[in-house]
Parts: sequence; structure tokens; C-alpha cells
Amino acid sequence: MENKKIQVLVVDDENDFLQLMTFWLESKGYSVIVASNGESAVGLVKEKNPNVVFMDLRMPVMDGIEAIKKIREFNKDIPIIIISAYVDDPKAKEAIDYGISGVFYKGKDFEEGLSLLEVALRTHRKLKK
Amino acid sequence: MSSLLGVYIATILVSIVAAFLLVQLSKLSGKGGPVVDKKRIKDPAYSDSYIPADAPLRHTISEEISELGGSLQQHQEISTKLLNAVNEEIEKRVELNIQEVSKKYETLVQEKTKNEDIAWKKYNKVLNDKKKTEAVIRSVAEGLVVVDSEGKVIIMNPAAEKLLGVSSRDKVGKSLLQNLREEQLVSLAKSSANPEDREIELVSTQDETKKILRASSAIVENENGQTVGMVSVLSDITKQKQLDRMKDNFVASVSHELRTPLVAIDKSISLILNKNAGEISETQKQFLSIAERNLKRLTLLVNDLLDLSKLEAGKTELKSKPSSIDKIIQESVAGLKNWAETKAINIRTTIQEGLPEVNVDPDRIIQVFNNLIGNAIKFTPDNGDIVVEAKLDNQGRRLEVSVADNGIGIAKEDLEKVFDKFYQSGERVPSDVNGTGVGLAIAKEIVELHGGKIWAESEKGAGAKFTFTLPL
Repeated sequence: MENKKIQVLVVDDENDFLQLMTFWLESKGYSVIVASNGESAVGLVKEKNPNVVFMDLRMPVMDGIEAIKKIREFNKDIPIIIISAYVDDPKAKEAIDYGISGVFYKGKDFEEGLSLLEVALRTHRKLKK
Repeated sequence: MSSLLGVYIATILVSIVAAFLLVQLSKLSGKGGPVVDKKRIKDPAYSDSYIPADAPLRHTISEEISELGGSLQQHQEISTKLLNAVNEEIEKRVELNIQEVSKKYETLVQEKTKNEDIAWKKYNKVLNDKKKTEAVIRSVAEGLVVVDSEGKVIIMNPAAEKLLGVSSRDKVGKSLLQNLREEQLVSLAKSSANPEDREIELVSTQDETKKILRASSAIVENENGQTVGMVSVLSDITKQKQLDRMKDNFVASVSHELRTPLVAIDKSISLILNKNAGEISETQKQFLSIAERNLKRLTLLVNDLLDLSKLEAGKTELKSKPSSIDKIIQESVAGLKNWAETKAINIRTTIQEGLPEVNVDPDRIIQVFNNLIGNAIKFTPDNGDIVVEAKLDNQGRRLEVSVADNGIGIAKEDLEKVFDKFYQSGERVPSDVNGTGVGLAIAKEIVELHGGKIWAESEKGAGAKFTFTLPL
């Protein structure tokens, strides 16, 4: 049982969604930091080193794919779950090449996002050991 | 002695006179009329003299006559008459011959001229046809390359030169594979390995602009069925590919734009309804529930529309695999059972024994069933019956599936229109049921994408039967 709360970075250009997801995750006991584009996301990963990242794919300034690429350059194993607006998004398929731990479809319940998060953390811990 | 001398002198005298007379006779005959003159031909041996053509004839006649009796004058007369008659006859015959020969000659010349004319016309026509064909080959926008059975280039039109970045002068007679870049080689080698029409993308780098070409090749066979070469048509599909990519991106971003607000609303409402944001009053719960319900309807409609757009744009890939139609039907019915039970409607399934598996996208076919059975429930009053049947068609080549109900039916004039986008029957149905008017249109697209057909049979007030086929 860790004393420090698990920190989740949520990256999405939709502020409303950020607000909702933050509220949800915090209500479940996680600590949340947010970013609204890829560039600030990369900076936050470097700076704060969160436990897991939820990354939206389509964003201005720097999109999700670019951000994942950049993050992987200095951090090979932080679990990244991509957020996708719909099934069959070609960008989602592209992201798989960069090593992700799951895909969270916005249309689905937050519950699903939660289970994805938990699976990603568990797998990550196993790998670390 | 003197008598012998006398006889001797007399004989000599007579001989002299006879000789003289003979000479005179021949001279006289020589002076014949103009008939004789015509017969004179120049003898090449004696350049300055004329030899009468009938000289041998005259000589023969004179000889024969002089053996008969009669005077010299008589001889001459007869000779001359004979000669004239013979000459006339000869002339007539010669004339006739000449005429005949002339005629024949003329006919021959005419025929020859006519044949020559025909030959010329044919030649010109072939020449024109050849020119037309060449003009077509030259000006066609697609590249045309013909290689013989050894892969050497026979024909390469200007468009092909441009597309491949080579000049036909360099290529004709040489192997097509020579001088092409590696990627091009690989693609072309692929297309020649497959003897049928095959679309291969050939990336050509020329003028630093990357082009995507489609090579469609066909084997050329002679009458005996031997392969004599291969003809390839090259089309530049770069713009098409760009457009395709743009369509993909458009579909993706439109989906994103439509779904994002819906998601935000949905999540906001659920958070409140689930009391994550604190307690809520009964009234607040009521109104929020209304909001949530309507949001679900809106979301379904948007999803259906996006689905239909993708299907129509040909941007939907089927994830087909061998599937059991029985399982698919059972799954769909299981999902709709609760709804049917609220109206006490009974759903029965009749599946033929031993049906083979069909190569379909199961999720998509379930979607079709959900739509058809859902419609049946919608338009059938309480206590109604729905029958789902699956069997092989009459010829055993296709799977035939139908959903029949005993509900309100469809008017004959509307039977075709039901598959149109946004068509909704004018019938009043309970408003809690989602009717987007797009369901049947989607079902039709899916069925047709699988290579099947869908149609409806119904009569007003006598139920409806929707049938669709799937190829085995």
C-alpha cells in the first residue's frame, strides 16, 4: 500500500472532458494533473513523472502521437493509455506502434477508463519487479 | 548439119524470150495495187529496201499457174485476182485478230486499273485505321506499355514515358526492367507474376514529385492461346489517393467533433445522477433522467448517421470470418428479449438443420438483425408474433434469412421506399422507441456490402416480412 497517491496525467484539448475526468478520478482517490496539448504534456512527464498518462490523440500544437514519440525518447516504460473518440480511428492504430497500455473510448463509461488504468498500473508494477 | 544448128539457135531464142517474158511477168505482178503496198514491211536486214510481205505467196501462185496452160496475160490476170482475194482475206482476219486482242487488252487494263483502285482504297483505309489507333494510343491519358513474351518493350506511349520517367527511344526494344528504379522493379515484377488483371501501386520518383501509379496488366494471347506478351495500363492515381486520405481524415474529424460534446454532456449528467457530486432531489433526478434519455437518443442518431456516412463513402471495412448464422440470430434475439416481453410479443426462431457457416462480419450482421427485429417489435401490437427464419435458398447457393411479424404492415407503394434514408412510416408509434429513420438504410448497406440483397414483403394490416440473402 503506497502512502503517496497515484498520480495520473490526463491530456486532452477538451477542457470540459478534462474537468469531468479529473473529478471522477479524484473521487476515486487518485491525484490528477492535466495538460491540454502534447507539448505541455511532455513537459509535465519530464517534470512530475506521473504514474500513468491518459493521452488524447487529436490536439492542436502537438498531437498525441507526437507527444508519445517524444515521451518515449526519455521514458520507455511509463504506461500510456490513449483516449480516442471513436473506434477505427487510424491514429489509434498508429499509436500502438509506440507502446501503449490501452485505448479508452470517450463514449464508454468512466468505469472502463478506471479498469484500464488499474490494469496498466498492475502490469507496470509487474514489469518493474 | 544445118538443121541441128537451126534447132539449137531456135531453142536459145525461145529460152531468151521465155526468160524475158518471165521477168516481165514478175515485174508486172510486182506493180500490184495499194493492197500490196500495205503489206510491205521494212526488212531489218536490208535497211533501204522494202520486201513485199506477200512475196513468197506471189511466187508460189505464179509458179503453180505457169505450169497450167494459157497466155501470159491470162496468167497475170489470174495471179492478180488470186493475190487480191487472198490479201483481202488475210487483211480481214488480221483486223479481226487485232480487234479481239485490243478488246482483250482493254478489258485487262480496265480490270487491272480497277484492282489497283481497290488495293489503294484498302491500303488507305488500313493506313487511316492505323493512324487512328496510333493517335488513340498516343493521346490516351493513361500510360500504355506493351512488352513481348521476353519482357522487351514493343510499344510505349508518351503518357507512359512521362509516368515512368523514361523515354521510349531508350526503352523500345530493350527490357522494360532495365533502367527502372528498384521499387518500380519490384512492383512491376509483382504485376507480371500474376497473369490476370492486377492493380499494383507503383511508386515512381520523377522530377522529385512522388507519384502513385496503378498498373493494370493483362496477358496478350494469340489465336492459338500462346502468350505473346503483356499489356499494362498505367494510371496516375496520386490525386485519388490524396482525396481518399482527405476523406478518411474528414470522417475521423467529423466523428470527433460530433461525439465530443455528446460525451461531455453524458458524463456530466451521469456524475450528478450517480450522486458523485452530492445528493440530488427527486425533481432534479427526474429532470436529469429526461436529459439522459434524450441524450441517448441523440447519441444513437449521431452514431447511426456517422455509420451510414462511412458505409456510403465506402470507408467501412468488413471484419469477415466464418460465422454461424444460428449464433448470430440467437445473440440478437437475446438482446431484444426484454423489450419484446414488455409488449408480450413472442419471438420464435426457425433455423434449418445443417446450415453451413457464412463468411460475414458478425458484428455487422447482428446490427442488421437488431434493426429488423427491433422494427418488428416496434410495429407489432401487444401479444403479437415474430418469426425469424434461416434456410438455404431454392438453388442452395445462398443463405436466406427472414424476419416476419404480424403487425401493422407496410403499404405497397412504400415497400421500396422503406430502405431510403430518413424514411419513416407515418404511423404513430410510442415515442420512447428510437426511430432514426436510418436503420433500414444501414441494414441495406451492410447486406449489399456482403454481396447480398434485402427486400420487404408486406400488405397494409397484414404484417411484414423482411428477407435478406448472403452468399455462401
